[in-house]
This record gives sequence, structure tokens and C-alpha cells, in this order.
Amino acid sequence: MDLFSVIFYVFAVITLGAAGIVVFSRNIVHSAFALLFAFFGVAGIYVLLMADFLAITQLMIYVGGILVLLIFGVMLTQRQIAVDIKTGTIQTIPALIIVSALAGTLVGMFWVTVWRTSGIPPVEPTASKIGELLLTTYLLPFEVASVVLLVALIGAAMIARREKKA
Amino acid sequence: MFDIHYSSLTAVQTYFRNIWLALYTALIGMRLTWRHLFTPAVTIQYPDVKLKLPERARNRLYVNIDDCIGCDQCSMACPVDCITIETIKGTPDQDLGTTSTGNKKRLHVPVFDIDIAKCCYCGLCVYPCPTECIVMTDVYEFSEFDRRNLNYHYSAMTPAEIAVAKEKLRKYDEEQAAKKAAAAAAAPKPPAPAATATPPPKPETPPN
Amino acid sequence: MEELGKTILKLIPVIGDQLADISVLVFVIGAAPPLIFILLYALVTLYTEMKVSAHIQDRVAYMYTGYHGILQPVADILKLIQKEDTVPDSADKTLFRLAPYLVFIGTYAGFAVIPFSSAYMGSNINLGVFYLIAASSIVVIGLLMSGWASNNKWSLLGAMRSAAQLVSYEVPTALAVLVAVMITGSLNLNEVSKFQDGGIQNWILFGGPMPITQKLLLLPFTFITFLILFLAGMAEVNRTPFDLPEAESELVQGFNTEYSGMKFAIFYLAEYANMFLVSAVATSLFLGGWSSPFGSFMSGPVWGVFWFVMKGMFFVFVQIWMRWTLPRLRVDQLMYTSWKVMTPFLFVCIFAVGLILVL
Ligand code: SF4
Ligand code: SF4
Repeated sequence: MDLFSVIFYVFAVITLGAAGIVVFSRNIVHSAFALLFAFFGVAGIYVLLMADFLAITQLMIYVGGILVLLIFGVMLTQRQIAVDIKTGTIQTIPALIIVSALAGTLVGMFWVTVWRTSGIPPVEPTASKIGELLLTTYLLPFEVASVVLLVALIGAAMIARREKKA
Repeated sequence: MFDIHYSSLTAVQTYFRNIWLALYTALIGMRLTWRHLFTPAVTIQYPDVKLKLPERARNRLYVNIDDCIGCDQCSMACPVDCITIETIKGTPDQDLGTTSTGNKKRLHVPVFDIDIAKCCYCGLCVYPCPTECIVMTDVYEFSEFDRRNLNYHYSAMTPAEIAVAKEKLRKYDEEQAAKKAAAAAAAPKPPAPAATATPPPKPETPPN
Repeated sequence: MEELGKTILKLIPVIGDQLADISVLVFVIGAAPPLIFILLYALVTLYTEMKVSAHIQDRVAYMYTGYHGILQPVADILKLIQKEDTVPDSADKTLFRLAPYLVFIGTYAGFAVIPFSSAYMGSNINLGVFYLIAASSIVVIGLLMSGWASNNKWSLLGAMRSAAQLVSYEVPTALAVLVAVMITGSLNLNEVSKFQDGGIQNWILFGGPMPITQKLLLLPFTFITFLILFLAGMAEVNRTPFDLPEAESELVQGFNTEYSGMKFAIFYLAEYANMFLVSAVATSLFLGGWSSPFGSFMSGPVWGVFWFVMKGMFFVFVQIWMRWTLPRLRVDQLMYTSWKVMTPFLFVCIFAVGLILVL
């Protein structure tokens, strides 16, 4: 085992352990906070894959944006209004079937796929390459994505405004 | 320059004006604090440097026991009853001297305690004193580890002196009683000897 | 816990083998200087803050521990270490214990990409500032965690405020950083500093090392951007006038109400480290970082550290100075400043700078 493997396993354990807490914790706030470590572990694995831009974007968007909002919401659900929101188990049988089907598919894919290691050395400054590609080859998807986000933003503003008038 | 009539400005003008004012006033404030950064401090280093107290400052009391005639007026004036005075009458054969103000001292003062922990520094005990021997000083640092140490004893009499004074008073009283009895015996009519007479009823509350 | 210990022990030979490989040692040694710097700097800043605040109010602050109280920070730290480390009964124990470390980790991680000199930088990654902004988002989570775990309404309110504030001010910060990045064409703070090397006139604050016309055109925009970056940075570290999350007069210190002893000390350390981080970013992006203001005079790797720390400390001082001058903003004013003033101004600046650079 070399250093990279060790680090990989460390991050893998962090990710899986945190994800386990997210799923199994009875306390919804603990789940939300455990998500931080899950995201962090994934970011670490991205770094090991030499995808530094992706790793940082992961931290920035998921931790800095989504997770903060998520926690923001979840935090207000418990204790302060004395309602304990707990995750319960319902419809065990259908869930079991769907989950096993999904898991089977994933495992099957994992089994069937021929994993190859690329011989190409990793691109060094990933950020500029990504930027270039986004503004040339993938301009259309990029623009579409930004328009979608803009629409969401305007929609959110609209909803917020309407409440004020009523 | 701040009393611009906002109503005369458009929304855009107000917006920029607000930004400008925010920055400008912040800078004014910062200039002010910058100046104060180099102004000599107005505070003093207290235990090392002390300010002179005003002449009429009220702090710890001092009793010049040599001048005290034991009149108990200070104790009666005190609103928190923190002055305890006990006196022993002086007999005619003793000369207790006079105070510096010329009053004749007639009483021994074996106990003169001021519990300064209770004192509220109102100064009411100072005014009635006929000999001006209880005074406010400018001492204000007298903290103690034990509260009991704040009960100051001003009396200068030693236990031996107190015993002597008491003894003398007792003898004098006895002598006086004996004299009275003799006088009563010598008198033509012996109706009721003082020893067996019922004493007059005491008042329920102490006179003070 | 015992299981974990055993697993770690099993791992040690593996790591031990790797220790022969010099790279691990380099990582460890390379990560140490910022930590040492933060600790020393915290002592100095503690002292400076007390003294500056006192003198602004025409007082003298502590005078007895050492010459003019110079040893007082040490005494303060010793006191904090000795204090009982209480955890409130109704707190969420795990999260309560975890939060201060998370806050400090977020801050310390940011120091990895700060170029202290042309020769030293924790990690020479290309995405420098971008990484730094991402790392600072861990701080938000830490604050939220501490606020919620304390199970105290002041703390929760403080945490909510701080989250709202940090998320809002991340936008102007990132945009302001973008302006400097557009001019230099690199996210790496070391590159940005190198770009501005060669004297005070090359600083991006004064338009960068451009031809004179471009420089003059850029100057107003870079100046505004710098101002906004600095103010937004102050808001991100919760310093007065942007200290709503800890507002001691209304929220009883906000998220750190329940903390005492070492955990409180760590929060404090993180706050001070953050102050320097903000100043360091502003310095590296707009004031030439480690480069000497006199061209090649007094420049070099060692002088680099000197200049960098000097510039950084100057802005730390300005932050302290502002703290003891200005009153706290109201919540709506805070949001107004971020969304309605800073952000639009920065859009204009980005647009203008882009245009000037293309021309
Ligand atoms: S100063 Fe006032 S409280 Fe104190 S002993 Fe005199 S009368 Fe009593
Ligand atoms: S009033 Fe003056 S003289 Fe009289 S008992 Fe008090 S201190 Fe002594």
C-alpha cells in the first residue's frame, strides 16, 4: 500500500461512514451535519483523481451553498418548536425491492465494466482547460444551464415577492 | 452638508448619496479615533498614582478617642446602628481631663466600636459630636479578608483600666448608697428603706 | 474508541514506511509554519487590539504584566487553558465539542494557499483563491454547528445570522477576487503577487503593471474593488461593524455564548486567524503580497515575509481601528450593503475591467 492508497482509504472511510450516519441517524440535524463529512470525503477523492477544480467546486457549492441552506432549514425544525422530526421506516417491502434492484444494477455495472487506467498524464492547470472548453465546445450546455439557473432565481424572487403583497 | 432635503432627490441620487455619506461619515469617525489614539490617557494608574480626594469626601471614619466624652450622640444619629458605645461613669476622685475643645470629660469609654462594613458613609454621626472628635478621613483602601476585621475598636482603655474604672465606680456607688442609707437612718422618719422598695417600672423601649 | 486506536496502530507501519519517502515529511513540515505564525500572531494581535482599543478611548489598558503589559496575552492564554471546559447539560455534546475545531480547520485550511514569501507557500495549487473561498465555507458550517449544539436561543440566533451573513458576503468577496484574477490571469496568489512585483506602482490597487493609459483607466475600478473586498472580508470574519453574529450587547456573544476555556480560545484564535487571512488575501491580490514597495530594494524571500506580514498587520490594525470606531450595522443594513451596494458595484467593476483589458 502506498501513500495514495492510504489516503484513498481514509477518504473512502470518511465518506462512507458519514453517509452511513446521514442515513441511519435518528437525529435529522446530525444527518445534515454528517453530510458535510460525506461531501468532504468525496472532495478528497476528487483531489486524488487530480480533479482539483472539481474538488473545490464540490466544497464550494455543496458545502458552502447547499449544505448551509439545508442545515439552515433543518436546524429550525427541532427543539426550538419542540417537534422532534425523526426518520421512520415505512413501506419496507416495496422499498426493499426497489433498493435491491438499484443496488443490483450498480453492482452489475461495476462487475461488467472493464476498468482502464488512462496512460495520459493528468492535465495540470485544470481550471483554465475547463474554462476554455466551457466557452468553446460546450458553450450551448453551459448557456442552457445558466439560463435554467436564472429562471430558478427569478422564480424564487417571484414567490418571495408575492407573499409580501398578499 | 448633511441636512439635504431627501425629498428633492431622485431615488438614484439618494442611493449614491447614501453610499457617499456612509463612507464619508465612517472616515470622519475614523479620523476622530485616530486622533484619540495619540491623546494622552485621561485615566490614571490607580494603585500607583492616586488622585487627591475632594476636601469633603466621605470615607473611613476616625475617632479621636482622647476627645470623646462618651455622649453617645453619634451612635444615636447613625441610621444603620453601626456605632457601639459603652461608658463607665467617672468618679469625682478621678480626673478624666478635658478635651481639646475644653469640654470636661466625665465618662470612661471602654467600648467604642464602629463596624465600618455596615457604615454607609452618610456622615450623620459627624455633625452632632460636641467635641468634633469623630471625623471622616480620606482613607478608602481598607479591604480585609475577614469581615470581622472591619469592626474597628477605637477605645484606648486596656482591660485592666476598665476593671479599675468599674471597681472604682462600684465602690463609689456603694459609698453613695451607704451614705444615703446613713442619711435615711439619721432622718427622723424611716418609712421605707431603699433596698426593699419595689423599683419603678422600666420603660419598655430603650430611650433612643 | 479502542477499536479506532487499534486500527490507527495497524496503519502506523504503513505510514512509517512512507516517512522514508521525503514527501510526507515535506507535507508535515510545510504545513507547520502557518500554525506557528497564527499562534504568535494571535498573541501580538491580542495585545494590539487591547492597546489600540484602550488608547482610542483615552485609556492605557494593561500595564503591570511586563513592560506596558506585554506579557498579558500570555497570561490570558494561560488563564483560558486552566479554565474548566464546560459542556452544557442540554447541549448536543458531540456537535458542541466538534464545532470549534471545525471553525479553526476551515480557517487554517485557508492559510495553505497564502504566499508568505516568494519562497514559501503551503500549497502551490493553481486554484489558490478559489480554494480559499471554498475552505471558508467550512467555517460557516462550524458556526452553525456551534449555534445549534449549544441549544440556546442566543447561540442559535447568532448562528443563523452568521450563516446568512457569510453566505451573503461570499458573493461580493468572490466577485472582488475575480477582478484581481481577471487582471493577472491566475488564481494562484503567489502568481498574483509575482505579477505585481517591482514596486508600489505595479500594485493592482493602482492599476497593475499595465501601460499608462490602461492603468489610469483601471485605477478607479481596482480601487473600488479593493475597498469592497476589504469590507466584505471584514463582514466574513464577523468583526464590528459587521459583528451581528456575536453582538455581545444583544446576543450575548452569539454562537460562543456557551463556550468556555479551551474551546472558547479556539474560537478566538480562529477569529484572529481569519482577520489575518482576510488581510492577507487583500494584500496578495491588490497590494503586491510579498513584493517590496520599492522595486528591487529590500526584496527577496526573507524580505518578502517581512513585507507580507507588515502589509497584513497593517490591515489587521485597520480592522481593529474600524472596530473601535464604528457602531454595529442593523441586519437589514447589512443585507442592503451586500446585495444592493457591493454586488452591483462589483458587476460594474468586472464589466469595466474586462472591457479595459480586452481593449
Ligand atoms: S457615617 Fe453614617 S452610617 Fe457611618 S457610622 Fe456615621 S452615621 Fe453611621
Ligand atoms: S458624639 Fe463625639 S463625643 Fe459623643 S460619643 Fe460620639 S464621638 Fe464621642
